[in-house]
Amino acid sequence: MTHPPGQFESLGPVRAAITAALLDQASGVEVVRRLCQACVELLPVDGASVSVMSDSDYRETLYASDEVIAHIEAVQFTLGEGPCYEAFHGGRPVLVPDLAAAVALSWPLFAAEMVDQPVAAVFAFPLQSGAIRIGAMDLYRRTPGWLSAEQVAIALHAVDIATLALLAAQAGTLDGDGQAWADLPLHREQVHQATGMVIAALEIPAAQALARLRGYAFSAGRLVDDVARDLVARRISPYDLDP
Amino acid sequence: MSSTTPIGEQREARLLAAFVRLADTLVDDYDMADLLHELAQHCVEILDVAAAGLLLSTQRGTESLQVLASSTEQTRLLELFQLQTNEGPCLECVRTGEAILVPDLTVAIERWPRFAPEALREGFVQVHALPLRLRGETIGALNLFGRRPGPLPEQDLRAARALADTATIGILQERAIHRGEVLTEQLQYALHSRVVIEQAKGVLAQAGDLDMDQSFQVLRAYARSHNSRLSEVAHQLVSGALRPQIVLASAPAAT
Repeated sequence: MTHPPGQFESLGPVRAAITAALLDQASGVEVVRRLCQACVELLPVDGASVSVMSDSDYRETLYASDEVIAHIEAVQFTLGEGPCYEAFHGGRPVLVPDLAAAVALSWPLFAAEMVDQPVAAVFAFPLQSGAIRIGAMDLYRRTPGWLSAEQVAIALHAVDIATLALLAAQAGTLDGDGQAWADLPLHREQVHQATGMVIAALEIPAAQALARLRGYAFSAGRLVDDVARDLVARRISPYDLDP
Repeated sequence: MSSTTPIGEQREARLLAAFVRLADTLVDDYDMADLLHELAQHCVEILDVAAAGLLLSTQRGTESLQVLASSTEQTRLLELFQLQTNEGPCLECVRTGEAILVPDLTVAIERWPRFAPEALREGFVQVHALPLRLRGETIGALNLFGRRPGPLPEQDLRAARALADTATIGILQERAIHRGEVLTEQLQYALHSRVVIEQAKGVLAQAGDLDMDQSFQVLRAYARSHNSRLSEVAHQLVSGALRPQIVLASAPAAT
């Protein structure tokens, strides 16, 4: 799985733009707008959207880059089935490079609604961090076709950015120098373990526990990773995170 | 944790028993996280190694691996695995698709200036990484650590390769492979499941004043005794659907 360096650097300016957007308005919507636009520019897709959802019935499309993807989202939310729906509830990407071939079996109602739409492929990615589930990012294209390994990597990086930004928006850690939102190592086990410890100590939901962890790190001027390490090593107590 | 090689027949018998068990699991409805943990334990029991871990590419470029399962959940060991996100045998293995066999780590300090001293400090002298291969692609690595210098004997290497291949099958077969793109779906799901388990370990560690390894054992024992999937129990714990006290209370005198 070797990629030439630089493939992922293309997201560097996107990160910078998103940081600027966060500073400007501290709103998740502007962030996901820029991210969706970046996906459309960098990937062979015609539209992108980000929706937030919960296990109960709450769902809202934060941004849709065109009417087609807005329709794809709306149809799924109405019917309660489809690739994006499945990505969110299943906790795994649902990648459908040839919708016509796959869709009727998996999602008959959704398939019927897509017949007259210019949608040939859909790639849906959950936005999540363990048990913290935020929503989904969906991409569509008008012609069938698979994403290359490099393109999948770019999409996954975009998913990480969307996840981080929306977690930050939820946590209210968007103030300050605007860099703090990206300071969350999504792939470090200690951060997840520490989140679990805070859940148990303060008896709060996972998303809130992670927000406390980040808020504490932010106000102490430390990295989330370092605070998580200290929690796991019992150098600090999760009760210290209770404001 | 075996520190002596089970000789000849004994080793063969263990290997056979492990594969029978893994095969039994694979044809049934199984939990990937549980299967991979078991596989890592088999490595330690069958091969002459002290610790084993499975790392998976996060598919976000070369420099990204994530621990999926290990023979013990001790934080220091996990850190050693994780360190290889930046340098070390696992990263080289995933990059090249070749097995990286290091019989004596003390001569590899220049090669891996950060990883090698850390591993030696933990008492590991032998380190091996075997690719998890799927057709032309390397999706991760099986990482083995030994406390005494020396090469991995040929028959152990063959057994390790077979265990690595079994891990690949376990990761990919959980859901029938009916579409080519299922690889990405499955790998991302595997990574996600692991995060939930880490969160659940934290919940139990805090509620029961346990270390992370003990938490994992309690989690696993509960899932087993309740015939539940490890990742489902973990999810219930983290989402608050299952109280940690219930899981802790059912643990046979905390390890």
